[in-house]
Amino acid sequence: MSLEAVPALPPMVRLEGVSKTYRRGTVEVPVLEAVNLTIDTGAFEAFMGPSGSGKSTLLNLISGLDRPTTGVVEVAGRNLAELNDRELSDWRAAHVGFVFQLYNLIPVLTAAENVELPLLLTPLSRAERRRHVAAALELVGLSHRVGHRPPQMSGGEQQRVAIARAIVTDPDLIIADEPTGDLDRKAAEAVLDLFGVLHRDLHKTLVMVTHDPHAAERAGRVHHLEKGVLQ
Amino acid sequence: MNYVGLAGRDLLRNPLRLSLTILAGAVGVTAFIFLRTVIDIFYYGAQAAQVDRLITRNKVSITEPLPLSYYARIAALPGVTAVTHQEWFGGTLGETQKDFFPNFSIDSNTFLDVFPEYTTTPAELSSFRSDPCGALVGEKLSRRFGWKPGDRVTLKGQIYPGDWTFNVRGIYTGTRPGADTTALVFGYRCLNESELLPENRKDQVGIYAVRVDDPSRSAEVAAAIDRMFDNSPYPTKTESEKSFQLGFVAMSSAILTAVRVVSNVILLIILLVIGNTLAMAVRERTRDIATLRAMGFRPRTVVLLVLAESSVIGLAAAALGVAAAPSLVNGFAKLIASQFGQIPDNVMRGRTLVVSALAAVLVSLLAAIGPAWRALRLPVAEGLRRVA
Repeated sequence: MSLEAVPALPPMVRLEGVSKTYRRGTVEVPVLEAVNLTIDTGAFEAFMGPSGSGKSTLLNLISGLDRPTTGVVEVAGRNLAELNDRELSDWRAAHVGFVFQLYNLIPVLTAAENVELPLLLTPLSRAERRRHVAAALELVGLSHRVGHRPPQMSGGEQQRVAIARAIVTDPDLIIADEPTGDLDRKAAEAVLDLFGVLHRDLHKTLVMVTHDPHAAERAGRVHHLEKGVLQ
Repeated sequence: MNYVGLAGRDLLRNPLRLSLTILAGAVGVTAFIFLRTVIDIFYYGAQAAQVDRLITRNKVSITEPLPLSYYARIAALPGVTAVTHQEWFGGTLGETQKDFFPNFSIDSNTFLDVFPEYTTTPAELSSFRSDPCGALVGEKLSRRFGWKPGDRVTLKGQIYPGDWTFNVRGIYTGTRPGADTTALVFGYRCLNESELLPENRKDQVGIYAVRVDDPSRSAEVAAAIDRMFDNSPYPTKTESEKSFQLGFVAMSSAILTAVRVVSNVILLIILLVIGNTLAMAVRERTRDIATLRAMGFRPRTVVLLVLAESSVIGLAAAALGVAAAPSLVNGFAKLIASQFGQIPDNVMRGRTLVVSALAAVLVSLLAAIGPAWRALRLPVAEGLRRVA
């Protein structure tokens, strides 16, 4: 019997020479410049920087919502440039969960229905979907709110529903864009505690953009962006 | 929850706007059915025409008479099984057209041979034929004025001046759909032998109706009739009954064209109303749509959700519009029945209803193209930043 070295997990995110330029009329506006970045699988990393520094653009590139002007974006082992729009949609459904600053819940659906939405893209039966939804809502401590609609819940509760929605498909990567930006301190702490659970106990890879130093403290590594350049 | 549930919830986000949109669509559908039925009414006479009947009239104009002597010559032609003649009398009950109804003089001995879709009892027919000024009253007309056999009806002649009194000898009914029972017919002798008729107008008829033994030879028989009188002082024009009726419709072609244009404009209005509602709904839901797309919903799925909403609006508007149309259309038909005569009790055709409903759904789908395209082309990252 011989001891073999356990192979290291491939990085969850690898950006190489990534630039992004937007065109505003005839003017080209560079937002990101030559970003090289690696985020390990299971890591919890935060991005900070002033408004307009390119944080959200970086998140959009990592999550496949946008495409770089130049460079390579490789996430969960896939070079996203190789995927067409339909394949990119399928890839996001399978690999990425989103948490937004304003929660982005569908106001006419209940908490359970909002959480169920990403599961409609899976082959799960109705009963299986319900089980997954119940488990996700229990994890975020909102089992008692299944039938409530977003306007009937506090901001903190809505964000926890959004987190349940982000994790219900068991994605590899959770993208959080200013997840505490619209919450009071107490609600923000509860959300960050949940992120801790996802990171430590469920070994999810979390990538978070924030202005909040308290939130950034929870991350294992904090990156700073200045005028599109990773410091 | 499923996709249908999701589309349904989206649809019900703004119940007032949804209700008003469906109501506007329904009003449009009802108006469309109404106008299309008005067009159908114009063509109803032509639709009821028989393929084995020809109409011979004066070649110069329908208002010019033909000699009575043509009767025997037409009847003798090969392929002709029966001939009759009739004259538009155009009498009114009073001085005005208020209580207008169609009235003709007919050849009482031959009329039913050529128009077998009308019938009366043998006793009433015999009584009618034996009385020079006997009249048969259509079933609907008899109900309208409460006339019955034995009554006397006096009409004021417009084309044939004077007061003309007729003896109601019977009530005629129709034996097939489209048979006009709103008219009064009286014997030609009453007109032709009357002292009220000037000498120079005697022995003249309005049109001949000719029945042929073989409808496939109608054109041949028509040509033979016209050839026979080609060089006479009263040349004829013979055509199928349908063509003759369409000639009347053609006189109203400008009105019909206007009605057709307005009915199509109504479809355009439905399209704009539904399109506007969907555009507002999609614009308001930009962030939600972007969120769905971020989660992995394919653009096609989002488009289908918009189309589903549009279809439901179209179907609801069509259902409401079709449900509301009969009372409006039949009420209108009753109102104008006296002018048009041949309008059945239920004037609205099933085909019109189906076409209108399909048009509403099609238009609603067309209305969704713009909003669906907008949803399809939405840059997800930009949509996520949108605050509703």
